[in-house]
Amino acid sequence: MSAGTAVSLRGVLKEYQRADYSVRALDHITLDIRSGQFFCLMGPSGSGKSTLLHLVAGIDRPTDGAVEVLGSAIGEMDDRSLARWRSQNIGYIFQSFNLVPVMTAAENVELPLLLTHLSKKERRERARSALEIVGLGDRLGHRPQQLSGGQEQRVAIARAIVTDPSIILADEPTGELDAQSATDVLTILERLNSNHGKTIIMVTHDPRARQYAKESRYLDKGRITEMPEIQ
Amino acid sequence: MGKQLYLVLKNLRRNRRRTVLTVLSTAISVFLIGSLISVYAVFFDNEVREESALRLITRHRVSLTQVMPYYYGARIAETDGVARICPMNWFGGTYIDQRPEHMFPRFAVDQEAVFEIYPEFKAPPEQIEAFKRDRQGLAVGKTVADKLGFEIGQRITIQGDIYPFDPELTVRAIFEGPDDMQAFFHFKYLEEALGPESGSEVGVFAIKLRSASDASRVAAAVDDMFRNSPVPTKTETEAAFQLSFINQLGNIKLFLLSIACAIMFSMLMVTANTVAMSVRERTREIGVLKTLGFQPGSVLGIVLSEAMLISLVGGALGTLITVFVNQALSEVAVQFITGFRLPAWGVLACFATAILLSVGSSVIPATIAARANIVDALRHTG
Repeated sequence: MSAGTAVSLRGVLKEYQRADYSVRALDHITLDIRSGQFFCLMGPSGSGKSTLLHLVAGIDRPTDGAVEVLGSAIGEMDDRSLARWRSQNIGYIFQSFNLVPVMTAAENVELPLLLTHLSKKERRERARSALEIVGLGDRLGHRPQQLSGGQEQRVAIARAIVTDPSIILADEPTGELDAQSATDVLTILERLNSNHGKTIIMVTHDPRARQYAKESRYLDKGRITEMPEIQ
Repeated sequence: MGKQLYLVLKNLRRNRRRTVLTVLSTAISVFLIGSLISVYAVFFDNEVREESALRLITRHRVSLTQVMPYYYGARIAETDGVARICPMNWFGGTYIDQRPEHMFPRFAVDQEAVFEIYPEFKAPPEQIEAFKRDRQGLAVGKTVADKLGFEIGQRITIQGDIYPFDPELTVRAIFEGPDDMQAFFHFKYLEEALGPESGSEVGVFAIKLRSASDASRVAAAVDDMFRNSPVPTKTETEAAFQLSFINQLGNIKLFLLSIACAIMFSMLMVTANTVAMSVRERTREIGVLKTLGFQPGSVLGIVLSEAMLISLVGGALGTLITVFVNQALSEVAVQFITGFRLPAWGVLACFATAILLSVGSSVIPATIAARANIVDALRHTG
């Protein structure tokens, strides 16, 4: 892994074993993503995009090959170390937001900070700052059901950045949003990359999202292939 | 711990109706267990009073329903270590009618001995003297007197059922003391009414010892005295006698234990289902928590703590209900059973029940949640 490389995948194979057959989600992928990059991985549904993101986040393990993130061979870590490493280095944005419905926006954002030694006051302050960055400083006390889809995703982004991780992984962040909300979310991600120096790895099948990324790849049937012409 | 409690409280507020219902069902099961413990305590966990330790009861060896000759009393009184004896016959009968509020135990006793043998029954000396002097006198416990409005000098008639005789009695003494839910009248009055044959039969002899340490020796001596007679006796401590009286009802301990087990098992199933449902609904959320970096142990702790908190609140509520119900029951008393109380070990048992319920019902769902694969949990729908 060379200096300045945030993520390095070497010959990564991922197969899911089913009762009487196996599914190859990733087929010997080799890929490097530089630090500070806004990287977009495109591909149709079922191409293995989310699986790749799971491997980088350390929430799944490869069947074969090596995954190195920020200099750590995460495939060799045990579950406890991996969970701790993830809480310190990775911010994760889900397609369906996955906010806790009984918590306010501020409480949802504060959630990852419960794993730190920060005081309650410090946690509150950080959550407020993160929400202000995504433009929701006036929605601290709102519950998810009181927010629009776009606002929910912005809360999810705030939750992803509140621990100040080096890498933000976004899994179809605009998949459930209308055009305007999608644009807002992509703009925030672009700003996090350019202004705050975060490495963004986004998987999507939304062609518009690609325009915000500095680098794009296309994944099809578990393999990196040529980017097809966008219609 | 504080941070975890914060999440636990948030989760419990997720579905308030379910949380409240689970707390209430736990409270009811703990109340039922507490009530069984109270019944057990009434029967088997009564403290032996100092006066009681000085008393023995002699009855027919075969059964309480069999009687002994009156003259046995004189023989027993001669036994070394015996200070005083008192014949006692359960009279039964009906006062006014058969309704429970008119029920109270009535014994024909030796009026000269009864207050010596039962010194815990206190009455003004002039009342005791008046009771002793009047062949038709009645000494009645304060609880009964208060309940039925008896006053000194009041005349009452008991309709006999076991005995073909309706005693006409005058309230001469009202005594206070533990278990003062009974009444005494003269054995001689019964004897005279029934004639020398059936009037000279005695149900039990209460024996007052000179020293509590003589109990086993005196009991053996009394029983040895009548061993080869047509009417052998069984002499035992007052506590053992009360226990044998209770055991006539059947194996109470097994009965209580069976009910307790049935309650525990059914509540375990109900609570386990509730916890499992609550965890299943949050499968994706658990996946999110783990993605954020929460350890499997934290997830396990959160689910267990939720169940534990519900059970402790339910347990405390159930224990309080038991104490209040016991308090109410001890004031009205149920038939002849008095002294309903939840002993200290019973309170601990109630909380142990609640904790057992919480751990038993949540350990499997919590372990499943803690071990859940993150990717599978995130894909969970439902």
